[in-house]
Amino acid sequence: MKPGAPPVDKDLLARLLTRALRGGGDFADVFCERRRTLSYRLQDGRIHDASYGVTLGIGIRVVAGESAGYACSDDLSERALTEAADAASLIARGSPAGDIPKVELVTERHASFYNGRSDHPIDARRYVAMLEAADVAARRYDARVVAVNAHVSDEVQEVWIATSDGRIVEDCRPLVSFGVQVVASDKKERGSGYVGDGGRTSMDYFFRETPEALASEAARIAIVNVCAIPAPAGEMEMIVGAGGGGVLLHEAVGHGLESDFNRRGTSLYSGRVGERVASDLVTIYDDGNLPEERGSLNVDDEGVPGQHKVLVENGVLRGYMQDRLNARLMGVDSTGSGRRQSYRFVPQPRMCNTYMPAGDADVDEIVTSTRRGIYAKSFAGGQVEIAKGDFVFMVGEGYLVENGKITAPVRNATIVGNGPDAMMKVVAVGNDSRLARRHYTCGKGGQYVPVGVGMPTVKIASITVGGTQHG
Amino acid sequence: MDESAAIAIATRALDFAQAAGAQSAEASVSIVRRFHAEAREDVVARLEGSTGKSLFLRVFLDGRKATLSTSDLSDAGLREAVDRAVTHANLVVPDEYAGLPDDVGANGAQLRLSDPAIRQREPDEKVEEALDLERLIRADERIVNSSGSHYTDAIAASAIANSTGFAAGYSWTRAGRSTGPVALDGEIKRTAHYGTAARYLGDLETAGSVARSAVRRAVDLFGARKPATMQVPVIFERDVAASLLEDIFAAVSAANVAVGNSWLSGLVGSNVGSELVNVIDDGQVMGALGSAPFDGEGVPTRRTPVFERGTLRSFLYDTYYARKLGASTTGNSTGAGIGPSNFYLEPGSMSLSEMIAATPRGVLVMDTIGFATEHASGTYSRGARGFLIEGGELAYPIDEFTIAGQYTEMLAGVDGVANDLRFDASVVSPSFRVAAMTVSGN
Repeated sequence: MKPGAPPVDKDLLARLLTRALRGGGDFADVFCERRRTLSYRLQDGRIHDASYGVTLGIGIRVVAGESAGYACSDDLSERALTEAADAASLIARGSPAGDIPKVELVTERHASFYNGRSDHPIDARRYVAMLEAADVAARRYDARVVAVNAHVSDEVQEVWIATSDGRIVEDCRPLVSFGVQVVASDKKERGSGYVGDGGRTSMDYFFRETPEALASEAARIAIVNVCAIPAPAGEMEMIVGAGGGGVLLHEAVGHGLESDFNRRGTSLYSGRVGERVASDLVTIYDDGNLPEERGSLNVDDEGVPGQHKVLVENGVLRGYMQDRLNARLMGVDSTGSGRRQSYRFVPQPRMCNTYMPAGDADVDEIVTSTRRGIYAKSFAGGQVEIAKGDFVFMVGEGYLVENGKITAPVRNATIVGNGPDAMMKVVAVGNDSRLARRHYTCGKGGQYVPVGVGMPTVKIASITVGGTQHG
Repeated sequence: MDESAAIAIATRALDFAQAAGAQSAEASVSIVRRFHAEAREDVVARLEGSTGKSLFLRVFLDGRKATLSTSDLSDAGLREAVDRAVTHANLVVPDEYAGLPDDVGANGAQLRLSDPAIRQREPDEKVEEALDLERLIRADERIVNSSGSHYTDAIAASAIANSTGFAAGYSWTRAGRSTGPVALDGEIKRTAHYGTAARYLGDLETAGSVARSAVRRAVDLFGARKPATMQVPVIFERDVAASLLEDIFAAVSAANVAVGNSWLSGLVGSNVGSELVNVIDDGQVMGALGSAPFDGEGVPTRRTPVFERGTLRSFLYDTYYARKLGASTTGNSTGAGIGPSNFYLEPGSMSLSEMIAATPRGVLVMDTIGFATEHASGTYSRGARGFLIEGGELAYPIDEFTIAGQYTEMLAGVDGVANDLRFDASVVSPSFRVAAMTVSGN
């Protein structure tokens, strides 16, 4: 898949860069985006609505030292874009203007990690058939299923990123997603389950991961939650499930290694490269180059190719995830981690796909060696506070572990802990690493971007579980 | 910003929709000029200023609905996008409840939504405000760093028009100040965030007051430890209390009720909360951030009692879910769904400090992290930090614990509501106390 013609011509992008730097500044970039999203929703057993979305606009940034000026425009006339360039250039007031560079742009293309597909739109009846199949499968799974909501979306984002060092980089990013939420009730208790999947691929992906299978899985989780007992409260052992458990790495470690926090010294990991920050069993990668994953990027939103980054190796902190502004100030190269939600936002250093490779522990042994704990098979989400490293996770599907056996399902447990503390307490890493189903979206500073996570089965010696059953 | 420019875009979109074959249609347009200055130390770290336009269109054909959202308002781009939206509506199943609202109109020309003083501000003055806030927090010697101090504002016009000939618009403004100081507690970095937002500059908390609140949040927790696991009364401070009201809003939103995703399903008329639980949705509060003359489908906003003395009186509806559930719209449409106007718990008469003094043993929650409330069952659980209360006094700071409970039990257990309500967001609450919750720590 290649992007089509940009909505404004290359010469204009070059003129805007020159204009943006006329008051000075270290570098400038112009981010041009055209995104089209089609989605359908099912509710009450029928196709409820169709939505079509278009995001078209240009964002212009000027960087001067630690400062960034930014302006965006959905009006693509030369007059409006020149005004935006002037607004962005205000940040550089007072810095020496010097010679205003005349920018010439050379087009760069990069290898693709996305799964190619035809450029022709598919027959929209296929979306409808997928949603209806999911509805039938979820209701067939169990009579206690009382509601099924499903959505499918098919998006293509084309970007053209022009930088004042004379490059124009294009990318065309597909993103498909399919999600099913199931509510079940046995008159007394209600429970819900959600499963989503997709990635930077085509709708053909759902021939492999079928809507029926995803819906049955969501129904299974909803039934588990109907039958679940209230979660325990207090400190205990925790087994983190393979795949979706990777949310733990994303929150407990990943955010703290984004370079904006570290350049500013507001992360607890600031200045600690080379130090031990986790048990020696812990290795963590962030990778923008995994085929089809939601967080993969041929190039990031600053035109830098996506990369494989070693964040933590055998417990030792190896490096941060860098965007251009922070990398420049820290005297290193960008790691291709500059991302933005759309042309309306400045880039931030962000994760792509964050995962832990396999260890050598036998998964059964991890369970049989656990006396009293919680098995968090998947997480529904999480959040971290960067400065101190405190995190919280909401367990999507969880079970008690008693005397070496997985026993009763528990309802809506919350896990609370501290990043380095929990990572130091990793006592076993399973040999079953895998990436989670692809449905995660990460929020930071009001910007939402798709990400991936992965993890083997991991045991943490003690963690605080926040349920209601005290004692 | 000019309402007539927004109305003109909406009318143009309606023309395209009808030309594409839509039987009825509705277009909402916002034109927003935004400004954002971020200061860190003595540097302007970020300066953003842009004007953005956005269109949200709903088209209907024989009970089939499709929507379009776009920032491409060129004639060619808009026409193509509208055509695609109308085409995709054909695959939607006809729904007898889908369609334009029965009664549209504007309620309250005098809501005080647009502050001329914000329009008159110069960029330099606004940048200086961010720098000033940053200086104020760093004046406290315990503050060693900051994640940034911000001034933001927006000057906007919003309009709606539909194919019955209705068209209306209004102007609004919004401004905000916020800051994120970092304090050093031994080797531990403690961060906090505090902000204020309002439609009128004069309604904002002063920079000094914002700085004081933010610094207090960062340094109050010095020496915090993990509490024991226990069942105790829990006081939710104002901002955290508002996050609980957001959960309650989700449970009374008819969109969630209709799909079985609310623990309040089937409970209208039932006594759910204590006598102190009076919850209102009101789109007509003068100058408040959640006020507007009409909602996202042009229905006049109003005041709806949601809970009265603990009894659930009404869910909140847009036109579609009202028809589907046999009720009337409460003017809570966002266009794309159901949203709050000003949704709040009515304040009580005691101050927060009086409430703390009246608590022999308990926990004051000042901040929470996490967000997943399970709405089908009403299970609440969050990571939290705050203070242990002993003998009516703040004994010592605590963190790395969770609080959990069932919403039915929590609302029934509300046994104190403070007088500190402020309309600084669309979902707000005074501080309140719940008689017993599970605190999970050591």
